[in-house]
Amino acid sequence: MRGDIPPSLFGKRPRDPFWVAANAFFNGLERVRSLRAPVVRDARPVDRSLRLTVRAVRREAADVVSLRLAAPDDRPLPAWQPGSHLDVLLPSGRRRQYSLCGDPADRRAYRIAVRRLPAGAGGSLEIHDAVAEGDSLSVQGPRNAFPFLARERYVFVAGGIGITPVLPMVRAAHRAGADWRLVYAGRSRASLPFLDELREFPADRVRVRADDEDGVPSGADLLASAAPGTAVYCCGPAPMIDAVRAAFDPSGGSTLHFERFAPAPVTDGKPFEVELARTGRTLRVPADRSALDVIREQIPTAAYSCRQGFCGTCRVGLLAGDADERAVSDAADDGFLICVSRASGGRLTLDL
Amino acid sequence: MSVRIEEPDGIVLQARDVRFDWSQVPLHWIPGDPVASHLINVLHMLLPAGEEWFVRVFKEAVPHIRDERLREDVLGFIGQEAMHAASHDGVLEHFVAQGLDVRPFTRQVDFLFEGLLGDRGLTGDRRRSWLNERVSLIAAIEHFTGVLGDWILNAEALDRAGADPTMLDLLRWHGAEEVEHRHVAHDLFMHLDGTYSARLRAMAETVSMLVALWQRGHRFLMAADPIVQGRIKGGLRHLRRTGPAGLTPDGRMMGASIRRYLRRDYSPLREGSTAQALEYLASSPAAQAALR
Ligand SMILES: [Fe+2]
Ligand SMILES: [Fe+2]
Repeated sequence: MRGDIPPSLFGKRPRDPFWVAANAFFNGLERVRSLRAPVVRDARPVDRSLRLTVRAVRREAADVVSLRLAAPDDRPLPAWQPGSHLDVLLPSGRRRQYSLCGDPADRRAYRIAVRRLPAGAGGSLEIHDAVAEGDSLSVQGPRNAFPFLARERYVFVAGGIGITPVLPMVRAAHRAGADWRLVYAGRSRASLPFLDELREFPADRVRVRADDEDGVPSGADLLASAAPGTAVYCCGPAPMIDAVRAAFDPSGGSTLHFERFAPAPVTDGKPFEVELARTGRTLRVPADRSALDVIREQIPTAAYSCRQGFCGTCRVGLLAGDADERAVSDAADDGFLICVSRASGGRLTLDL
Repeated sequence: MSVRIEEPDGIVLQARDVRFDWSQVPLHWIPGDPVASHLINVLHMLLPAGEEWFVRVFKEAVPHIRDERLREDVLGFIGQEAMHAASHDGVLEHFVAQGLDVRPFTRQVDFLFEGLLGDRGLTGDRRRSWLNERVSLIAAIEHFTGVLGDWILNAEALDRAGADPTMLDLLRWHGAEEVEHRHVAHDLFMHLDGTYSARLRAMAETVSMLVALWQRGHRFLMAADPIVQGRIKGGLRHLRRTGPAGLTPDGRMMGASIRRYLRRDYSPLREGSTAQALEYLASSPAAQAALR
């Protein structure tokens, strides 16, 4: 049942004595262990959520508000570093991640800022319309998917609400006396939050670009001040990050940093159905969601990792149906990567 | 002047989609030193099967986790280990293509991880207990991967010796991710079981197996190497030269780290530096290419 003992390394013996001995040792241990009933306990549940009170709601730009969150008794909150985010559990049950944009030295309050996205999934509308001063919110974190590293030269590139993780980085770089520049771009000046706070910094370090005045910047425009040896920290909408990635020159010791926590949005997806063979349920996967997202609602413990189709963790057996094999590694066998692959039509039956 | 920051904390673990081109990498990637090259090459033979086993065991553990943050860490860990396994596998294929047939040895490693440490077809509490046992072994192994990761990030002697840059990038990218996620397996073990006796037993089994496999693996590589042709006999005694020369880890460093592991207040976070690991990942050619 455990596979055969392998031959010795140079083929002199059909069963290598080392592994014969190791096998006997492991079997002996197992036999001793099986003499008494195993003692297993369920893991103790750990709840790391914090209940915080909304102390202030402030309008920061035409469609951006910031929330100041603190413990009900004002006790110090867990420390954080630039680039960190909170998971906010909204009253509706939605869970959203927002970068911390306050000052890490202020241990009594967290600040997040949220842009109203009328076409989004509703999290931002809920914060704008349903959350008021005095309300209480459950949060988890802080966690950091955008760590800020010690360097001598920085170029920060922020697009719109992407200023939120960058603002604490700018402050840290400035306090430390590093050589830094910020390029801050958006549709119009009225749409850009925190312009008032940025006025604290020397004017020659901060460049604000509004598309309606200066045109949409190219990657090269955004990186114009990045000399060799610069750490480029970029946060903004996907097209901006793509432009910066394309224009970035790694020679001369420059490094590029952007937040990687969101999986890429589904492109040209069509809706399809997945039948879960072991549980007998059939789920509908809409055009704009991945099979993984939908399956996790039913099976919260389904394993996955990269959500981009390269690590292979979420691979499950494909029992019937035609997959579009979006992941390179899908073609190799009858497995199916639920994080990116979809049906090329109709229904898929998965071994789940 | 460079910004001073504290040791980063609460890092979200994510796999990096790295790729390596092995075509230009010589078998003796520490020039003129097949002995030291192969002392490290043993790891390429152990890691693919070992890390795939980590992935299988941890996937089985995920439904038992009652701590959301730990579950996220474990999922990130799994993806990183899957990429490590695949990347070391690429090195092995390249070795075989160069006439160093490693398959007799990897077959034995497969027997260890798929046979002896594999799924035993148990159910109920016996299945859980075997799962916890294997998690305790992974926590002990991960102590060493973290220590080795910290070592390789600081192994300047390899740069001075002119070691192949692609191989160094693989080892340092992997080492940096090991340092980055060094707390996860220990945290998972403490969450699911946490008994000191299980930790002791796991470390004893791990050390014995590691020493035996390293010794056997090195002797095998030195004998199977098409250039060396068995003229130098392999074995761990070579560490007495390569360790102090900084080309490989040495026994003293490993022994000191075992003593730290056996302390009741052991914390993997005291081994190595997250800041240094992230610093390397920011400049690693493979990890940076994965961003573009
Ligand atoms: Fe690894
Ligand atoms: Fe690891």
